[in-house]
Amino acid sequence: MKLHFVLLVLSAAVGLGQAAYAADETIEGMTAAQKAALRKTIDTCTTCHGTNGNSVAPTFPNLAAQTAPYIEAQLHAFKDQSRGDPDAQAYMWGMASQLSDSTISGIAAYYAAQAAPTGKAGDPALIAQGKRLFEEGVPARQIPPCASCHGKSGAGQVVFPRLAGQHAPYLLKQILVIQSALRNAPVMHGIVKDLTKDQIQAVVAYLESI
Amino acid sequence: MSLRTFAIPTWFLAAALYIGTVAPSQAVPSFARQTGMACAACHTVFPELTPFGREFKLNGYVLDNMKQVTGIDTAANQTLALNSIPPLSVMLQVSYTRTNKALPDSAISGALAKDGDLLFPQQVSLFYAGKIAEGLGAFMQITYDGAADHFGFDNTDIRYVHHWSFGGVNGNDHNLILGLTLNNNPTVQDPWNTTPAWGFPYSASNTAPGPITSAKIDNGAGGFGQSVAGLGVYAWLDEHFYAELTDYTSAITGGAHPLDSSQANVVHALAPYWRVAYEQRWDRNSLEVGAYGLTARALPGNGKPLSGPTDKYRDAALDVQYQFIGEDHLFTALATYIDERQTLDASVQDGLAANIDNNLKTLKLTGEYYYQRKIGGSIGYFSTRGSSDPLLYVAAAATGSANSSPNTGGYILEVNYLPWLNTKLQLQYTGYTKFNGGKINYDGSGRDASANNTTYLLTWLNF
Repeated sequence: MKLHFVLLVLSAAVGLGQAAYAADETIEGMTAAQKAALRKTIDTCTTCHGTNGNSVAPTFPNLAAQTAPYIEAQLHAFKDQSRGDPDAQAYMWGMASQLSDSTISGIAAYYAAQAAPTGKAGDPALIAQGKRLFEEGVPARQIPPCASCHGKSGAGQVVFPRLAGQHAPYLLKQILVIQSALRNAPVMHGIVKDLTKDQIQAVVAYLESI
Repeated sequence: MSLRTFAIPTWFLAAALYIGTVAPSQAVPSFARQTGMACAACHTVFPELTPFGREFKLNGYVLDNMKQVTGIDTAANQTLALNSIPPLSVMLQVSYTRTNKALPDSAISGALAKDGDLLFPQQVSLFYAGKIAEGLGAFMQITYDGAADHFGFDNTDIRYVHHWSFGGVNGNDHNLILGLTLNNNPTVQDPWNTTPAWGFPYSASNTAPGPITSAKIDNGAGGFGQSVAGLGVYAWLDEHFYAELTDYTSAITGGAHPLDSSQANVVHALAPYWRVAYEQRWDRNSLEVGAYGLTARALPGNGKPLSGPTDKYRDAALDVQYQFIGEDHLFTALATYIDERQTLDASVQDGLAANIDNNLKTLKLTGEYYYQRKIGGSIGYFSTRGSSDPLLYVAAAATGSANSSPNTGGYILEVNYLPWLNTKLQLQYTGYTKFNGGKINYDGSGRDASANNTTYLLTWLNF
């Protein structure tokens, strides 16, 4: 009967329990209801994007320390379905469909404030090649250095996303879907359209490592 | 009436029960409608769950991205949060089954049934699957079974969930989900595909002969699925640790109510089910290692009063699941081993079993591969070995055992093509190396195990 007793006690715990959030991800002027909606939403984001925005599976990008304007822009693009790459459709169109502007701003502020992910070691030769590409571009083919928009350290600025510490397979896929115009990004499309698969693999290996 | 003739209807009933429990086969578009997410978010290939699918289930099926009908009281507490469109969906299975050798005619001794059986439908199910209120969600299935020609209440799991975040700078370094589950099939609430209710094969013929028995926690002739109801509580900590305790009791649908001697296999008092598991995720991989079990006392019924001594079943099982979910390549390995100890005081007293103590050991191994979730296949191995019992397992054409043994083993080969994520075309071949205790003349009527080798073609649509 001990098992039945444990069951009874645990059932009571579930029934009476209240969610105890300590997170204080707020933006100025938010109402209590907006704060509650934001907390609930971030719990949901955590399922794929990991605790504090550090995801496990490379299908899902790290959001920790991502620039707030970029996150906001992407969430709006998911919501209005103007970003249409396969994973955006499969996961984010639904996820963003009911988000209010204030929740979107709150999500962006929350993840922008998290500690940046640390780089992962990789193939030194590939990383060195990627670093050159990132910092110098390919002048002979009029491909500008990535660092000119994404920052010398890859930390991003304003709507240009942070790339440093991002999962290499995620970045690789994004460049491919931008090349194929499945993801609508006019500026980036022009820049990456002539990158070879080897060059892409080098630059994403470098970015994952920093 | 001799003891032996009395044993036959018990066995026959078990075989009949098998038909109703063979197809644990669901994936539910209403979840996709509710979340706005494609099937691939929750399933590698339906009905197998991805890590996100497991989170969705453990969170009570309540994640919604749909316009809500809401209500609040004067203290601003929410009193209603209802999907604006009900989360309903339909599943249709059409199948063709052919056994290596036709089965005996059910009415004319010595004659054979038609060789090959088309079921249109094998099964049609209507689901309510989704949120009911904040923290409260349901997976509920009503099924029309084409072979049995009846509607029935199928797998059902209703959950109520609370989520806590705590620890760390943001107060969310740790996540704890505590949930209640009310369900009608031990393991239907489980989020991994190693346990019986959602285990491989995900669909199989319901007209080909099935093994003479199975563990109580397993699908098959001996299983308790859909003849019990249980209330349980579970905890899921940091997406690693899972623990659950659910108490089941008899909840047979149809037949005499209140339950009486005309029912069979009636669970007496409470039957606790327990489950522990650990999951590790890294990169695109996940590995789960766990254990589960059920302890039940049951009354044989079937002409005997539902009182007096009981049969006791103690099932304890181990399971391991590995998944790799790549952009193009998906691989899954599933394994479970179920050990059942039976103490058959009631059956022996009633002349339905010869041995007080019997055992049944079941092993299932499965490997699956898919390319881009479009085309793939599975290889499965299954084996059940147990005590011989001349009253429990008796000879009968095609379905019985000549040597009173439940030992059955074989393999399943499956090829699947999914033109869309919610449609599956399946070719499955089940081969038996041993059936009900024997390879040659296992039934005492001249039928070999290989005669039951089954080719099964299935069209499986979810919408």
